[in-house]
Amino acid sequence: MDFVFVVAATVCILSGLLIVSQKNPVYSVVYMLPFFLGMTTLFVLLSATFLAAIQMIVYGGAILVVFLFVIMLINLKPDELRDDSKLVPRLFTTIGAGLLCGIIAKFVRNGVPFEMSTSRVTMADGAAKMVPDNLFTAFSMPLPDPATLVTPMNKATTFGSVEDIAGPLFQYHVIPFELVSVLIVVAMLGAVLLSKKRV
Amino acid sequence: MDFIVAMQEFILAANTDAPGVFNLRNCLILGGILFSIGAWGVIARRNILIVLISLELMLNAVNLVLASFARAHANLAHQNLNPSAGQTGQIFALFIIAVAAAEAAVGLAIVITYFRNRETVDTRDMNLMKQ
Repeated sequence: MDFVFVVAATVCILSGLLIVSQKNPVYSVVYMLPFFLGMTTLFVLLSATFLAAIQMIVYGGAILVVFLFVIMLINLKPDELRDDSKLVPRLFTTIGAGLLCGIIAKFVRNGVPFEMSTSRVTMADGAAKMVPDNLFTAFSMPLPDPATLVTPMNKATTFGSVEDIAGPLFQYHVIPFELVSVLIVVAMLGAVLLSKKRV
Repeated sequence: MDFIVAMQEFILAANTDAPGVFNLRNCLILGGILFSIGAWGVIARRNILIVLISLELMLNAVNLVLASFARAHANLAHQNLNPSAGQTGQIFALFIIAVAAAEAAVGLAIVITYFRNRETVDTRDMNLMKQ
């Protein structure tokens, strides 16, 4: 599992760097495929199997193809792909992104330097345990064994399966779910209206 | 250059954790690295297609962090909190994927319209309001 995680993380980081550094957007889109494959592997490792399937279908199947279609439609000539910004702005943005990355890594590794209160909670197996109120202090916790993960339905389903997602989704999050469907309809209408010849 | 330092930090963090590389902290660090790469692409690149692709990259990094937290806190689903604590993170990631799909559709439609009118995809040429 460790080995798969390291390989998937390396693939994700390398293909991410290749995505943002290409001059021609076609190659960026091509490098999105190993990125999405790596992300799918990570989701499977995190027991989010339904999310992994949706990731592959929506990103790898829909968004990637839409990007390729648009690149084909606008048909850029090589001389229209001008060189990007000058050295100094690029240097500063690189330093800024590196600092952002370093700050995130630092906070994640050391925790947030505030004093957290803890509260007494009852775990799934009935044992009482002191748990920090803020999730950020629990960064270094090991990920639990997938076989012991608690599912809300208390059935013998695996964590993150379709059944496991659907129960809470339709019990607690019905209104956001419906709003997302409205959003997708609006986005579809907007895309069609925007792309019409005469606006 | 700073990404190399960040990657060294990542490898260092992976090596110092004795009980295994695959834990919550390394998942979060990976999400942070991917988010930073995407943020760099959004800020520094001038091709609007690559800006949109970098936006997708950032949303993916957020999805990874949500799934990691969901997995790590699945067993905290005790009586006095939301019983579906683990699934809530994954459901939120699902919503983010839907919003990303809608955003890509509208963004690319805008790119097509813009290219039809101005014959360019460079963000430096988008200065009609400035003139």
